[in-house]
Amino acid sequence: MKQLVKPALALAALCGIAAGISSVAAHHSTTMFDHSKTLTIDGTVVELRWVNPHVSLSVNGTVKGSEEVAVWVMEMTSPGNLVRAGGWSRNAVKAGEKVQVDFSPLRDTSLKGGALKKVTIVATGQVFTANLRAQEMPGLE
Amino acid sequence: MRYRPCALSLVFLATSFLTISAVTASAQKKPTVINPPPTAQDWADIGKLPDWSGVWNPKVTDQDAQVKTNPPPWNEVAAKKIEQMFAEEKAGRPKLIFPGCFPENHPTWMLITHNAMEILFTPGRVTMLGESDGNRLRRIYTDGRGHPDEPEPSFHGHSVGHWEGDTLVVDTVHIIPQAPLAVSEAAGVPNNGDMRVVERIHLADKDILHVDLEIFAPKILTRPWKTTRIFFRQRARKFDIVEGICVLGDYAERIDADGDHVFVPVEKTIWGNIVPKSAGATR
Repeated sequence: MKQLVKPALALAALCGIAAGISSVAAHHSTTMFDHSKTLTIDGTVVELRWVNPHVSLSVNGTVKGSEEVAVWVMEMTSPGNLVRAGGWSRNAVKAGEKVQVDFSPLRDTSLKGGALKKVTIVATGQVFTANLRAQEMPGLE
Repeated sequence: MRYRPCALSLVFLATSFLTISAVTASAQKKPTVINPPPTAQDWADIGKLPDWSGVWNPKVTDQDAQVKTNPPPWNEVAAKKIEQMFAEEKAGRPKLIFPGCFPENHPTWMLITHNAMEILFTPGRVTMLGESDGNRLRRIYTDGRGHPDEPEPSFHGHSVGHWEGDTLVVDTVHIIPQAPLAVSEAAGVPNNGDMRVVERIHLADKDILHVDLEIFAPKILTRPWKTTRIFFRQRARKFDIVEGICVLGDYAERIDADGDHVFVPVEKTIWGNIVPKSAGATR
């Protein structure tokens, strides 16, 4: 039962079902993240949301240098850009997999959000990045 | 019987009135303009156009560079707003230029998009389809029509185009005044009306597309602004554009108590980022 409760709680943490949520759909700039900092979290994938305008990866784990266990949501560019620039697919990273994620945190440190720089799947060593400016050339394969 | 002449007169008058009304209405009614079905020759002519097939990605690093190297000639009021927006963006408080998942609109889509597009040719029309907004779509009429007398303002305006050799020349008007002219995802101001955009779209190399724009926005610019935006082509099938619904970023896919697959709102910051509702979860 405990095995079922954990992912359910983590998923619930991602939903703002309560009244008064702030709902701001938009494609936006990324300077709300502090790109001068890179944090690393070791944890378990809760969910990969493969949607426009920003794919997000939520991870339940511990940020290096901290003892707190928490769900963090890592934001990325769009699905199309991730396929092109980072070799992603909607099944690249699956719920339940152990991962290590490098990310730039939100400047508002009261919120557990960040911009994903790199995710490494622990079991395979496979790495995915998320820099849409990394490969600006035609004819990619 | 004495009423008979009167009745006949009334019938005559009524008949005359109806006849005159019908003739007047007929004279006032504009002829219906028909879009004719394409002919085999029309389809054959499509084959003579340059090859713009494939998926086109924007060169975002060049967009970034032009923020400094080729800024729009903003008027004094707009320049102050843009300066403030850049200061806010630098401070980590970027303005949401496209709240509510509004389309990036024309010409901002061409100027600052991060997403791919494809370009379709059919007789009498060029269609641009983009990723992300769910309604990122430009219809460019190449059938010789002009702009409508009665504007129907829209995010992407009304576009007519013609070919000059291998260059598509597009003229766009009737863009809604709220549509921003933006140079980044956090710096742009509403055009406030009367914006016109002239584009010359052409292959600069085998897989490089240039969109040369001249933007007339008299309410916010001191003079027309010229810029070129660069797109590069992919042909690998894995880069095919898929459906992208911007507002889906506000929801998560869940299964409710009835077992139905539903969308549930997610909590977001004022900057538009998804964050966990609670601070932590047990492990």
